[in-house]
Amino acid sequence: MTIEQLTNEFELARPQLKSYILRITASIEDTEDIVQDSFIKTSQKIDTFRGDSSVKTWIFTIASNLAKDNLRAKKRWTENVNDICKSKALANPNYFPELMQIQQTSPYGQFEVKEHITFCLTCISKSLPLEQQICILLKEVYEFKVSEITQILDTSEAMVKYYLHTSRAKMISIFDGRCALINKKGVCHQCSELNGIFNPKQSFEIEKNKIEMAKAADKGDKEHLLGLRLQIMREIDPFSSNGSELQLHHLEYNRKIMENYSEKKEE
Amino acid sequence: MAMTNLASNIKAVTIKKTFSRETAISIDIQADKSIIWALLTNAADYPRWNSTVISIDGTITKGGKVQLKSTLDPKRVFKLSVKEFEADNKLVWGGAMGKRIYTLKSIGNGLTNFSMNEKIGGPIFPLFAKMIPPFDKSFEQFASDLKKEAETISNTK
Repeated sequence: MTIEQLTNEFELARPQLKSYILRITASIEDTEDIVQDSFIKTSQKIDTFRGDSSVKTWIFTIASNLAKDNLRAKKRWTENVNDICKSKALANPNYFPELMQIQQTSPYGQFEVKEHITFCLTCISKSLPLEQQICILLKEVYEFKVSEITQILDTSEAMVKYYLHTSRAKMISIFDGRCALINKKGVCHQCSELNGIFNPKQSFEIEKNKIEMAKAADKGDKEHLLGLRLQIMREIDPFSSNGSELQLHHLEYNRKIMENYSEKKEE
Repeated sequence: MAMTNLASNIKAVTIKKTFSRETAISIDIQADKSIIWALLTNAADYPRWNSTVISIDGTITKGGKVQLKSTLDPKRVFKLSVKEFEADNKLVWGGAMGKRIYTLKSIGNGLTNFSMNEKIGGPIFPLFAKMIPPFDKSFEQFASDLKKEAETISNTK
């Protein structure tokens, strides 16, 4: 492979790679660094690429290793990340004015329920062990095969299946207990609350009925509901969506809260 | 994929002696050892797939300490320490009165033989023997749940 071929392949993979690394790290700065370092590292190792996998799988392997190094010393988040961050946001007088300013001035400042669902999934998936989070994202959002994920994670097919199964089970359990979009007894109403703040003239019921996952909730197939949730994530690029600037600001905020929260828990 | 011996056919065996009681069970599972090992060593995940476990707190690793709540005696918390931890092969945990041994063996064709054995006893065992419930049904349920979960994972697409 020539450096030109690698550059072309890398540019083709870049949007998905950036989205993937952001969803693992929840940090825009770390994402930019890791994606850049991935390009440098693949360029340096170009002679070692033997074609045992696709170039895209190889790029994701190198980027995943860099992301794992980046996250090694950091604590995983907790299932109730959104409750913790909500209470911090409500106590912070600058929080909503900042978001309102983004909404009013940015072309990427719209609040859309689907984007919040994706944001929420990103945050809650950070409560999974890292291998489980990586597996479910690679398989269900970035559509890698199990055999490709074994290469990316340098593990066995059996373990990838274990990580996939347990991560799905955990996500189903968490969202079934929390998400009021799919369970009337769900404790989290952040989608409707934020939609009321950012889009006060909208009817949340109408917005909700545009979402396949919410419409399918009554059928009670929890596996299917998780599949629909992951499909929403698959269809949204967090760096170029209608509300990307708003959601990225929100994600950065949550990351800072959770890093402090983890540190305080350790003290 | 052919399923191995059905859960309903799994039978635990108990041997009672004056100073000890030993219960054992063995089953073939159509799954890689590493999947079964991962299930056996992920403490927090037990209640999701194992209907005999209410909770396990702690870390199942070499020298680790765990607190187990079982449906066998829901009011009790069993404080156990991990005595042997040989990845993918053997796990032993126990307390003052006895120990439980989990063993995994690859037997070909993608099958793993899982065996579980618990021996309790000692000089004062006859004094409290009648207070300890039989383990047979719990062992059979444990093995059945493990087989079902591991084979489901193995068939994950």
